[in-house]
Amino acid sequence: MVSYKYSDKGTVIHRLNPWCKLAWIAGVFVLALLFDSPIYLLLLSLSTLPVILAARVWKEWLSVMKFAFFLCLLIIVINALVSNQGSNVLYQFPVAIPIAGAPRITLEGILWGIGNSLRLLAIVSAFTVLMFAIHPDDLMLAMVKAKLPYKSVMVASLSTKFVPVLIDDAQRIADAKKSRGLELDKGGRIQRVKSYASIAIPLLSNSLDRAVQVAEAMESRAFGSGQKRTFYRELKISKFDITILAFVFFFLAFGIFLRCSGQGGYQYYPAVEAVSLTTSEWAVLFVLLLLVNAMPILALLKRKVSLD
Amino acid sequence: MISIKNLTFYYSGSDKPALHDINLEIQDGEFVLLTGPSGGGKSSLCRCLNGLIPHFYGGTMTGKVEVNGLDVTKHSTKELATMVGVVFQDPENQLVTVDVDRELAFGLENLAFPREVIAKRVEEALDTVGIAGLRHRATSELSGGEKQRVAIASVLVLYPDILVLDEPTSELDPKGAEDVLNMVERLNDELGLTVILVEHRLDRVVAHSDRIVVLEKGMITADGGPRSILSDRRVSQSGVGIPPIIKLAQAVKSKGSLIDNTPLTVKESRMAMAEALRDSESFASRHSERVLRSPCHSERSEESHRSGQAPRPKNLNRARLHEESPLIEVKKLWHAYPEGFVAVKDINLSICPGEFVAIMGRNASGKTTLVKHFNGLLKPTRGDVTVAGINTKEATVAELARKVGYVFQNPNDHLFCDTVEEELAFTLNNLGVKGGEAEPLINQTLERFGLTQYRYQYPRFLSGGEKQRVALASILVAQPQIIILDEPTRGMEYRLKAELMKFLDEYRRECRAVILVTQDVEMVAEFSDRVVLLSEGKIVVDGSKREVLSQALLFSPQINRLAQALKSYGVPDDILTADEMIEALA
Repeated sequence: MVSYKYSDKGTVIHRLNPWCKLAWIAGVFVLALLFDSPIYLLLLSLSTLPVILAARVWKEWLSVMKFAFFLCLLIIVINALVSNQGSNVLYQFPVAIPIAGAPRITLEGILWGIGNSLRLLAIVSAFTVLMFAIHPDDLMLAMVKAKLPYKSVMVASLSTKFVPVLIDDAQRIADAKKSRGLELDKGGRIQRVKSYASIAIPLLSNSLDRAVQVAEAMESRAFGSGQKRTFYRELKISKFDITILAFVFFFLAFGIFLRCSGQGGYQYYPAVEAVSLTTSEWAVLFVLLLLVNAMPILALLKRKVSLD
Repeated sequence: MISIKNLTFYYSGSDKPALHDINLEIQDGEFVLLTGPSGGGKSSLCRCLNGLIPHFYGGTMTGKVEVNGLDVTKHSTKELATMVGVVFQDPENQLVTVDVDRELAFGLENLAFPREVIAKRVEEALDTVGIAGLRHRATSELSGGEKQRVAIASVLVLYPDILVLDEPTSELDPKGAEDVLNMVERLNDELGLTVILVEHRLDRVVAHSDRIVVLEKGMITADGGPRSILSDRRVSQSGVGIPPIIKLAQAVKSKGSLIDNTPLTVKESRMAMAEALRDSESFASRHSERVLRSPCHSERSEESHRSGQAPRPKNLNRARLHEESPLIEVKKLWHAYPEGFVAVKDINLSICPGEFVAIMGRNASGKTTLVKHFNGLLKPTRGDVTVAGINTKEATVAELARKVGYVFQNPNDHLFCDTVEEELAFTLNNLGVKGGEAEPLINQTLERFGLTQYRYQYPRFLSGGEKQRVALASILVAQPQIIILDEPTRGMEYRLKAELMKFLDEYRRECRAVILVTQDVEMVAEFSDRVVLLSEGKIVVDGSKREVLSQALLFSPQINRLAQALKSYGVPDDILTADEMIEALA
């Protein structure tokens, strides 16, 4: 069981300024949306791995990715069934389904699903860094600095903090119900919905009680006093952070430039074509991915230098 | 200084006043203990002191509450935050950030203090509360006692003159509670903070308080120094838990001995009792003839002693018939959680019908893990657990629910139906008892728990004690042979505790077993007969309460500590409760 709580593992990635990590995530996100070529997307997904490894959050990453894979499978299946375009027909359903018509499975439909799944994987993988390697309070601070309203940011931060508490609550209530002879996973669908309602109701009212108590405690500590709030911690940006930010902007600009010059594009429809890259295209792509990984490389180097 | 004049308050939508005509003046630097039955208005009074009432809660308020000369109705809670620090019951619901030091900074940030001032005050508060070592830890990783100390530090940074603590220890284990209370005493003593502490268990704090205020049904029914309040007969009758040493002193005094009748600490009690024993000539002559009657030799306690040698039910002929077939048999039980933490190790245990067993031990010593095996919520990693002849590996929790009832600490986890009656019917329904068959069982159980009048009420709107009874009734309606209660008395006032124990004692007499997970030594001393002490997942001692609790360091009741010291006067050193002591001295 992986806990979805942030824990400070003290790695070089955890130590980095949150702005750098946020910029990096945004960078990967934009590149993932920019490129269409499955090779580019696959390699982009893989190039998020060094950061995950350096931050030592692979266990958490794996459990998130399991869920993402499931989602990808869904995308592939649904797209294959729904998309009727594409010239390489693999299977034609003999009967028509109302509204949907007679589905036609095409190679293009499947490959499109796979390509977009890779895009999703790259994005989700980058976002696990946001979840597990940026301190939630730092993230909050960054959001406030980015001029988002403080109260909304605080609410978001509180709700993530109470997720594990809520999971514990639900477990305890389910145990209490089972101890009163409730078979949670038996019976028909209606019966099961009823069973789960017996957990949802106490969970909801416990949470409401909790919410009032949290509000009361925050009020007693002058929350929302109307004055402009100060912050105990500040997000100092060092020269090193600026270097990393520069690399992030550089890989982003480089990626945009490549895409504009025609690299990394791909058309699935009407018929799939072979993906082939020239040697120079490979080289340029490699440089781009190296730039994406400038952040963990520099961070590790800095640790090594400061240790020496 | 706090001054309250003719304060009456109604929560919105309620026609009963939560506070009724309160008049109270509290001087700077006083340590005031606020006590009384649950639902008596203690929390409401606390909320008035920093303006949560009326600003946060609304409702109708008449009369005047002034804190340092400021009228709380005219000044917001935020303004009052720098004068009155309030700490609540559940530490979990007061902490809003991830790190300890940022938690401390939260209040100061809200009031827009400059960063340098925040840094200085955070530093001071960490030291004052003694948690400097925790500064970079995540609050979610801390123990309950540590969390509560963080909560206290996080209000201290605002430099309040008054610290209000609303049952700060009710969610904590004895060690955590001790740490928190020690610290509060120090704040009052050394920094001169005015402390208003809401607490049920008086024995631990009474010695440090200057004044006790008893609130009942929204009214102040007693107000004065601890000695005068605790010797007041009206107060003890109102259900306030009088510490056992005071109960003892009162009994001794009523026999004509010239003893100070309100010792506040074990030490005071020891001195007074020693003097009384020395002075008493009649005692001296009896003493020369024979040793004082140990509780074991008195007629009434004969049985409990026998039960002490072998943990067997008290005076129960029906139970004796079942002696050979224990209700629960645990053989070489090991349990490891999926994360790899081994919570219980090599447990061998058998529990017979008619037994009242207390499972004790520090936090995280494996108590709850062990009892969750008794109804199949957890399955053994290794070894076997047999309950009423069924191996728990071969049955679901729901199937075992016929044999074993399990009551969770918080009644809110149990309750979800629209009426009390449905709550009981839900359990029976699950077990296949329906309609006409269920009716008499429900009636009978409601009657037994005094819930008939609440039959058609919404259970979650009942008071704390009533909710606990509904939760218990919803389990016992199925008449399980074994009933398990996990920390049932945490944060419960004395009268409700005694009531609950009476129910359980009756229940066990019907040839059933009662298993209690608890850290409440005084309660175990009074009501159970067998104690299983766990430490780091292993059974350290398993024996009669007399064997386990007397001469123990951590888990010994107040009276036993007294008895130990009076050994040279011939007082038997295995006495556990005030009643036993009184009997021994008679």
